[in-house]
Amino acid sequence: MPISRRQVLAGSAVSAAALASGFPAPAIAQSEPIKIGYLPALTGPSSSTGVGINRGTQLAVELINKEGGIKGRKIELISRDTQSDPTKAVNAVAELTQRAKVSMIFGPLNSGEALAATPLIARDKVPMLHPCWVDELIDVKKYPMSFRIAPTNTQVGAGANYYVVDVLKLKKAAVISDTTGYGTASVNTYVPMLKAKGAEVVYQNHIDAANPDLKPELLRMQAAGAQAIMPWSVNAGFLSRICNTRGAMGWDVPIVGQTTLGSGQTKALLEKPEYWNKVYSNNFRQVCYANGKLPPRAQEFVDRLKAAKIEFGDTLLWWVALGWDGGMMMADVFKNAGTKNDDVVAYMNKVKGWPGIYGTVTWTPQQHNGFPDSEVVMCEVNSLRDGAFNLAPGYST
Amino acid sequence: MFASIVSYGLAVGAVYALIGITYNVMFSASRVFSFTAGMLGMLGGVLGALFINKMGMNAVLAFVLVMAAGAVLGVITEILTVRPVLKSIEQHLYVLSTLAFALMVQQVTAIEWGTEAQPFPVLIPIDPNSALGLVDQKFWLPVLACIVTIVGLELLYRKTLIGRAFLAIAEDSYAARALGLPETRLRLASYAIAGVIGALAGFTGAQMLLAYFGNQAILNFYGFVPVALGGMGSNRGAVIGGIALGLFQQAANFLVGGIFASVAVFAVFIVVLLLRPEGLAGAATARRV
Amino acid sequence: MTDAASPMSTAKAPGGLLGRLEGSWSWIALGLIGLLLPLLDDSYFGVIAQRAYIYWILSAGLNLVVGYAGQIAIGWVAMLTLGAYTTAALAAGRVGGVEWHPYLALIAGGAMGAVFGVIVGLPALRLRTFYFAMTTLGFATIVTQVALAWKDVTGGGVGTPGPVFPWPFEPGWGFYYFCFILAALATWITANIGSSRYGRALVAIRDAEVAAEASGIAKPKLLILIFLLAGGLGGIAGGLFSSLQSYITPDAFTFEMSVLFFIGILIGGRGSILGPALGTIILTVLPEFAAPLVQWSTFLYAALLLVIVLVIPGGIADLLDYKNRRPLTQHREIVPRPELLSRILGAKGEPSAIRLANIALYFGGVRAIDGLDLEIRSGEVHGLIGPNGSGKTTTLNVISGYYRPNTGTMKLNGTDLPFDKPHTRANYRIARTFQTPRLVGAASVLENVMIGGTAHGHGTFAESMLSLPRHHRDEKQLKDAAMQVLATVGLESLAAVRADRLQHSELRFMEIARALMLRPAFLLLDEPAAGLSAEEIRRLGALIKAISREGTGVLLVEHHADLIFDICDRVTVLNLGKTLAAGTPAEIRSHREVVSAYLGA
Repeated sequence: MPISRRQVLAGSAVSAAALASGFPAPAIAQSEPIKIGYLPALTGPSSSTGVGINRGTQLAVELINKEGGIKGRKIELISRDTQSDPTKAVNAVAELTQRAKVSMIFGPLNSGEALAATPLIARDKVPMLHPCWVDELIDVKKYPMSFRIAPTNTQVGAGANYYVVDVLKLKKAAVISDTTGYGTASVNTYVPMLKAKGAEVVYQNHIDAANPDLKPELLRMQAAGAQAIMPWSVNAGFLSRICNTRGAMGWDVPIVGQTTLGSGQTKALLEKPEYWNKVYSNNFRQVCYANGKLPPRAQEFVDRLKAAKIEFGDTLLWWVALGWDGGMMMADVFKNAGTKNDDVVAYMNKVKGWPGIYGTVTWTPQQHNGFPDSEVVMCEVNSLRDGAFNLAPGYST
Repeated sequence: MFASIVSYGLAVGAVYALIGITYNVMFSASRVFSFTAGMLGMLGGVLGALFINKMGMNAVLAFVLVMAAGAVLGVITEILTVRPVLKSIEQHLYVLSTLAFALMVQQVTAIEWGTEAQPFPVLIPIDPNSALGLVDQKFWLPVLACIVTIVGLELLYRKTLIGRAFLAIAEDSYAARALGLPETRLRLASYAIAGVIGALAGFTGAQMLLAYFGNQAILNFYGFVPVALGGMGSNRGAVIGGIALGLFQQAANFLVGGIFASVAVFAVFIVVLLLRPEGLAGAATARRV
Repeated sequence: MTDAASPMSTAKAPGGLLGRLEGSWSWIALGLIGLLLPLLDDSYFGVIAQRAYIYWILSAGLNLVVGYAGQIAIGWVAMLTLGAYTTAALAAGRVGGVEWHPYLALIAGGAMGAVFGVIVGLPALRLRTFYFAMTTLGFATIVTQVALAWKDVTGGGVGTPGPVFPWPFEPGWGFYYFCFILAALATWITANIGSSRYGRALVAIRDAEVAAEASGIAKPKLLILIFLLAGGLGGIAGGLFSSLQSYITPDAFTFEMSVLFFIGILIGGRGSILGPALGTIILTVLPEFAAPLVQWSTFLYAALLLVIVLVIPGGIADLLDYKNRRPLTQHREIVPRPELLSRILGAKGEPSAIRLANIALYFGGVRAIDGLDLEIRSGEVHGLIGPNGSGKTTTLNVISGYYRPNTGTMKLNGTDLPFDKPHTRANYRIARTFQTPRLVGAASVLENVMIGGTAHGHGTFAESMLSLPRHHRDEKQLKDAAMQVLATVGLESLAAVRADRLQHSELRFMEIARALMLRPAFLLLDEPAAGLSAEEIRRLGALIKAISREGTGVLLVEHHADLIFDICDRVTVLNLGKTLAAGTPAEIRSHREVVSAYLGA
């Protein structure tokens, strides 16, 4: 690609400014790639999210680079598989920030790793974008350079609680989780929120996900008068067992909870297809079918995926969309603000209504959680087709 | 609830008992405890799901193949990890060699099969509304397998010549060798049998436990508890210990919940071992001075 | 035992601050690399190095448990977990609402590790190897589950932030030096123990437990000390780990980590400090360089472990042990010098005797000993002969305290000798050798003999750990005594050689040398002439006779009739557990029944 004089001048101006500022910034040269650190968990126990998101991220970066990159500079995605292990995540952070000197880090994609990585990335003063849900990960005072493009656990729980209390109009709920960080944090946060809405939590427990028999748990819930089961776990085996047990008992209550309730893996572990009826999981308005159709942006994205022959029937559309949005957001930031940390953060602090496929992102200097409350909705899991679902019944569209 | 405790407890206890028997058969033949018992159980489920679900075989053929695979793995265990270290003075090296092999197999499974528990197919097409369908087969299959194994081993040891040869090398390998028994070949055969028993445990128990690489560690420990409690080498002790463990574990799960159940099992395990290191039914072995 | 700086290879006496590590170039090189690494100003290397130091601190302690004591503690990651959570929870104020200062929290983490190290280790005293390994695995699982469940203290699944240490050990290169210093300290401490009589005693328990007991080594007390130390180091490593990670969750403490520590020690080689250190460093650093293979890392570690176990059980340390590959002189002769005995055995004490009265011992239906009276007097050689299975070795085992008889009494000068307490015999200065030589193959002949004198050391475990003067005095005395004893039995030229390279006959004399370290009032010999040539038997006989002339009472269990009749003052003949005949050699030789039952024409 021929380099124009304007680009040369622009490049030198930026370099001079960088040198003058004295701020630790990655070395910028004329057509040097923009380095982005990427910390997916592609292997190991918690890797299904990472594998899905990765497809979207890789596609976004490929597309950007194919269309000439950002102001002539290609994006170099430096990927380090954390293997779902926080210690590997910590090692990788040091490598990315110190040796590779990346301009931004996308990830980690699992909360356990993000909890360890975030303080270190903040200490190294590198901007960070991640899609993890644990509330503690975002703190504008402690981590001024960390931004989130996914909902928080609180928002997700609020969405589920809203559906149970305000849409289904039920009063008594059983709230359970597995014993992971995500599960326990969820239950601890959502139970008070439910109670604040006037609902009664008749049963709550953290259950070992490896337990093959959940019947005693469900019997206890039933005995307590639960009208809905709200499970919080990303473990497909655990969630499927809840559905199976409810079905085997013939207990007709809705299951309203975590997104993974609707994953292909959960479906594969069901004993009968009808056990997936009346199961509602978290999802996101922008990627749900309403009246049989996806919103236009999502439909366009699906068409693009099909054209690029990217597989998403075995994962969730919103993961792929999330990965895509992450890549596109970073590209937009660099396009508009350059790669200097101060400029990047200043720009991100002012993002308003950014039209992602997955969600519409808005940040302010006081609020680094970018996902809007209104876009967290429940979907009907047995309507899964092409990785996406119908909006659950009862919402006003 | 009581029915659930009993049905799950018996079924999972039968699986534990079978793994305990696997340990015992290997121990009888070589005086060696191998870390591969849990591995065999795990592969019984994983390979079964692989053959039936992913490769579309019918259940009977898959069963035969899985049993064969168990035998082959047992043989590999003996040749690769037990025989070479039996000759060495450092007897406890076998703990490490079998552990290493079991770990290798576990990692390959985790990488190739995946780290998520996969479903295991229903083996026998039974109409759930018929009389046979009264109790879910995932509960009675392991129990049936356990009974068949016990009866089969009894017949083998008491009624056949080769079975008595097994008993002989278990009792006193020097004397057996002096009598001209082919100790190595008998040991190899014992490990093959142990492999089949372990695979059987995993195959029949997988409708409950699913095809999951993590079952290896679970079965290694919970399959060992019956051996420790019942006395090493004692199959009767292993069965009683296994059933007791299964029922205790399920009762604890129901009454106090998962984590305390594990702690309770572990505590009982330690206390019994400290009081009677040879197990409740085992014989105290004198030291060679 | 196989480190470059073994007691024999340093020309000067062991001493000085560096003690054991003096002259060891590998350590100096490692130390320099560690000190100078910050100059590269690459904090990625820094993070990896800190991780290696932390893992080594834990592994240094585990090395004593696994490498020296031979206990297969696979689930030792539990100590890391305990230390990490204790330190983090205390520093964050999750216990009692008070935020502990990070250094205090770290010490508390170490204490927690030490306490649980002992708790986890106690079963090792009673359980077989495999059982103990399983116990540690179960414990590691329990600890993780408790960490998940105890939300108030540990943060449950969400975890808790790790402590931030203040200047001069603040995160970054400050903390790097903190880890470096602690790693160096852990190395020094464990090396001191390894080369002390405690280290030798551990290896003796591992490889020759009965011989260790006969030398007066009490297994329980020693193992508890080791588990205490190893647990403490593991706890401290955990506290440092929580700071390095900046945030800990239960899923950071994986089973793979336990395997990693374990394999690092075995790759390095048991009984060595340098080997496991190198092993741990390699295993920590390796995954960083083999990015595409990183998924397979646990598989590769396990495969490596299998290869090591099958092919080079001695690990890297063995591979680096050039000293012990030098060929030995081919036709060696053992020339004892009985005239040196008076220096070792000292002045003759009051005459005393061991008296057995009416001893009976049944093994099920078999009467191994069926009513035996026996008297061993000081200054006499008392022979005990009889056909195989007549109860000779069993009698010896009863006297040395391994077997408890069903009836009968055993007295030393009127005081009862305790049954079932073999390790107390050293206090009575009753020493013995074994039918099959019990030795520590990987240790040198000198070290094997020094094991015999373990009970006579004065220094405490702590003094050895910190390389204090009394420890060095002990070592010097032990070493001098051992050299003297080796000279007496005629093996001093082989002092630095690995014991498993010796010929069978040399091993028999080595056992006698080890027994002599106790300056025994009574010496029990179990078929010492088995496998010796005629000339060697003659020399052995002269040595035994000389020992008894110095005042020691010798019980000689033997098959070689000539040796018995040559040197014994009294002979007892056993048959089917009963005394067939007793008297002087001349009387026995012509005794009709003895001749027909045993001696032949």
